[in-house]
Amino acid sequence: MKSLKEEFLEILSNYQGILHKVNLIYFRNKPDREDNFQEIIYQLWKSFPKLQNKNSIGSWIYKVSINTSISRLKKDSRIEYREKLPESIDKFDLIEELSFNETSRRLLQAIYNLNEIDKSIMLLYLEEKSYDEIAEILGISKSNVGVRINRAKEALKQNLSHER
Amino acid sequence: MKDNELKNTWINIDAEINRKTTDELDQYLTAKCRKTMNKFIFLNFIDIVTAIGLIAFLIFTSFNRRGDLIYQTNNLILGLITLSALVISFFSLKKLQGNRFNLPLKELLEQRIKLLSGWLLGKYCKLYIVLIPVLVAMILLSIHVYYEYKPFLEVMKDGESIYGLVAGFTIGLFVSFFAVSKIRKYQLKNLEFLKESYGRLCNMN
Repeated sequence: MKSLKEEFLEILSNYQGILHKVNLIYFRNKPDREDNFQEIIYQLWKSFPKLQNKNSIGSWIYKVSINTSISRLKKDSRIEYREKLPESIDKFDLIEELSFNETSRRLLQAIYNLNEIDKSIMLLYLEEKSYDEIAEILGISKSNVGVRINRAKEALKQNLSHER
Repeated sequence: MKDNELKNTWINIDAEINRKTTDELDQYLTAKCRKTMNKFIFLNFIDIVTAIGLIAFLIFTSFNRRGDLIYQTNNLILGLITLSALVISFFSLKKLQGNRFNLPLKELLEQRIKLLSGWLLGKYCKLYIVLIPVLVAMILLSIHVYYEYKPFLEVMKDGESIYGLVAGFTIGLFVSFFAVSKIRKYQLKNLEFLKESYGRLCNMN
């Protein structure tokens, strides 16, 4: 029989893509992403024994990853708000060590320029989560989800047009 | 970019991400568990150690000054305030350790806003303005009178002692208020960020 930790690591291994993607949209450089990745793992581990419904593992991981990342944005003094960054830095050190093509880079840059709430909404939309799931993860009503997605998409498309 | 293009690009991004092995994940978890005491909890820990040290000092000095009623009263009041601070620190620490990130984002933001608003803007948020001078004065008196090896009233009549106490009080007050204002400023910024995020999440207009 598997121990709790083995079970946790197996789930984490299968779902780690979520952590990486949340990290990617919230944190610009590698050290911040590494720190946040560790923090998310720790927060997941802390709440794992209380996870009742094993059918909603994905939602649980999204919740913890998004909540941890947003909480770290305000805590970590090293992370400046994007408005305060000079444009040269903005372009220069985004995902520098990852081998994405130009289109992917443009999309990531455009998402990065959204506010912290729109980032999570856009992520969940791009991950093709249902309105029900998005509502559950963010704690808002289904009707609000639709409105939020449309607004976030508008903002994203505007950012993309600036990225050209 | 159209919606389909966005989603396809996102799928490509997903495919490019380097996954960690289970062993690496295990190492991350183990390392994080070891160094998990964050800044806020660390501050509480310092608070607890300081309070215990102060209480020990107060008990020890009161025991050595059994005849000096004013000195003992000063130490008793100071001890009670310190003990209350210790209990509050302990519960704050417990509350912080129990932070749960597996809630829906809206609920988490509400909880954080409520907690921080209570601390920073609640009914007793200005209590520190009264408590700090009182505590600094009482601590100074307790230490100074003890090391003067004279009864409390005699020390108070000594002009040199008064000058020393006033100087110590001024410095102590400045340092304490400076530290508290820094912490408050940082936490107020956090609260502002949380409220903005909450507004963005819930505002339908």
